[in-house]
Amino acid sequence: MTQTLDAQNKPRLGRAGLGKSLTRWLGLLPWAIAVAFLSAAALAPLIAPFDPIAGVGAPMLPLFSDGHPLGTDGFGRDQLSRLLFGMRPMLIVSLGAVVIALAIGGAYGLVSGVSGWRVDWAMMRAVDILMSFPLILAAILVLAALGPSLVNLTLAVAVSQLPIFARLARALASGEAARDYVLAARAAGFSPLHVMVREVAPNITRPLLVQATSVVAVAALTAAALSYLGLGVRPPAPDLGYMVKEGQELIFIAPEQALLPGLFIAIFALAVSFCGDQLSDKQQSGVGP
Amino acid sequence: MTAEIIRRVAFLPVTLFVVATLVFLALRALPGSTVDLLASQFATAGLRDQLIAELGLDQPLWRQYLIYLSELVRFDLGRSFITGKDVSVMVGETLPVTIELAVASLIVMVLFGLMTGLAAGARPGSWLDGTLRFIAMTLFALPWFWFGIILILVFSLWLGWLPAFGRLPSDVDYQAVTNFVLIDAVILGRPDLIGPWLAHLTLPALTVGLTTSGMLMRLARSGVIETSTMDFVRTARMKGTPGGRIFFRHILRNAALGILTVIGLQFGAMLGGSVIAEVVFGYPGIGRMMIDAVLTRDYAVAQGAALVIATLYVFVNLATDLTYRWADPRLRREPGR
Repeated sequence: MTQTLDAQNKPRLGRAGLGKSLTRWLGLLPWAIAVAFLSAAALAPLIAPFDPIAGVGAPMLPLFSDGHPLGTDGFGRDQLSRLLFGMRPMLIVSLGAVVIALAIGGAYGLVSGVSGWRVDWAMMRAVDILMSFPLILAAILVLAALGPSLVNLTLAVAVSQLPIFARLARALASGEAARDYVLAARAAGFSPLHVMVREVAPNITRPLLVQATSVVAVAALTAAALSYLGLGVRPPAPDLGYMVKEGQELIFIAPEQALLPGLFIAIFALAVSFCGDQLSDKQQSGVGP
Repeated sequence: MTAEIIRRVAFLPVTLFVVATLVFLALRALPGSTVDLLASQFATAGLRDQLIAELGLDQPLWRQYLIYLSELVRFDLGRSFITGKDVSVMVGETLPVTIELAVASLIVMVLFGLMTGLAAGARPGSWLDGTLRFIAMTLFALPWFWFGIILILVFSLWLGWLPAFGRLPSDVDYQAVTNFVLIDAVILGRPDLIGPWLAHLTLPALTVGLTTSGMLMRLARSGVIETSTMDFVRTARMKGTPGGRIFFRHILRNAALGILTVIGLQFGAMLGGSVIAEVVFGYPGIGRMMIDAVLTRDYAVAQGAALVIATLYVFVNLATDLTYRWADPRLRREPGR
């Protein structure tokens, strides 16, 4: 179905050769942005002009001030340095949470899908119950219980993304489990563990990874929202979500204090969603098995 | 169909029970829980012990759990540790506010998501389709709280059209009956309440509604595209049915089901999302009450709010599912599907 649709649409999309190559270059843009964010955050200690926590100038300097291109905040801290360091929690939490959710949710779904029958039923009802929570509420509860910190924030976001991976892995695994090669492996007397890990798992990894890329954006937005609510990194440490919160109080005097950190979050989330979309489009156009 | 409804409704108490247990465990059983948190707030040891005994926190965990469940069955959500107010009363005041916001957001989402989705799906691959898809993608990637602040900046500070904070102006004399302003306006004969209420509701509802509309837009679009390749649409075209009629009578009716499900699921997401909008706009709903409680470690309130939001969510999801089954004649006719 998708393929016929694509065939119909193609002539309209790439009208001329110029448009086609332009589209291809534009397709690289989100990847470039994502890489730029990751390297800027990783290199923050080297490239940030000032200490993000110490007051280094007059408070509330406007944009384009001498020595402080993005101005300073209410405590005289350099905004550029704070933005660079503030990206770190968002990136660490979103990537860490997705890896955790992918590993645990993927393994859970794999066991459920391959086992079938009652085990499958019981395992999926458990996921249903987790899904019966609004996911951000589950994250808030985890943070309420554990207290706000970077590690706990990562765990909370991971919990909120677990069901997505568990369901997808289960659907994929149960599809694969009915195939001939799995039956053959079973008939040959391989253990269930061997069937899961060596036969089924390799065949469901790719779609799971594609899904993971799409989920990074959601995880980053969730992490930023929880930080905004005051449930993330503890205050003096810079964090984009919390910077929006602090900036909101100054919205009458200096709206850029709230707008800039939010813009960083939005650009990153947008870039990563486009990356995820490209990957799933590629997958749907039927290269894989 | 009937069996399926019974099965789903019968599963409801199980879900609610597990939800209640999870909330209990999250807030009481984990290390560093209420006792220590309270101890840090109440300095003198005597006061601390007294408080702990009063709250039943000196009991073994299983005992606390049983007390908690028996109170829940009687709809007793306990009292706020800080204000001493009855939590069920607090919920009664804040939940209607959140429901108002969620419904208003849903209206925004459906209007915007459907219109853009159907427009994009009617001519896939066109210039309009590309633009609308890009807008949907961007709206999806915007942090909600940040989008809310932009709206405040534009519509409250720069244009001065809409208020940025709260639910009703403080000088309005409003004695709540049901706490739903619209219903109260009718009961009390106070049409003057509606204007300020809508003005305060607009920005939060736009924030939640627009940022969640991307999903519906995508689904409406793909639903329309997929349905238009089906045989019955081809047949209708061959019979010479006019294009508009094909779109509304054949394509839209068949795409409606998937759309309906997303609307229901998104309503649940909105209950969660309204937490953030309520904090941004200082909107006195149950989400903000919960966040405030979590930040001030007022666990009875946080627990009550979490339970109520989760329960509402469970009911909305069930209702969506049942509506879906009822609305699709194909599912109605096939028993045991």
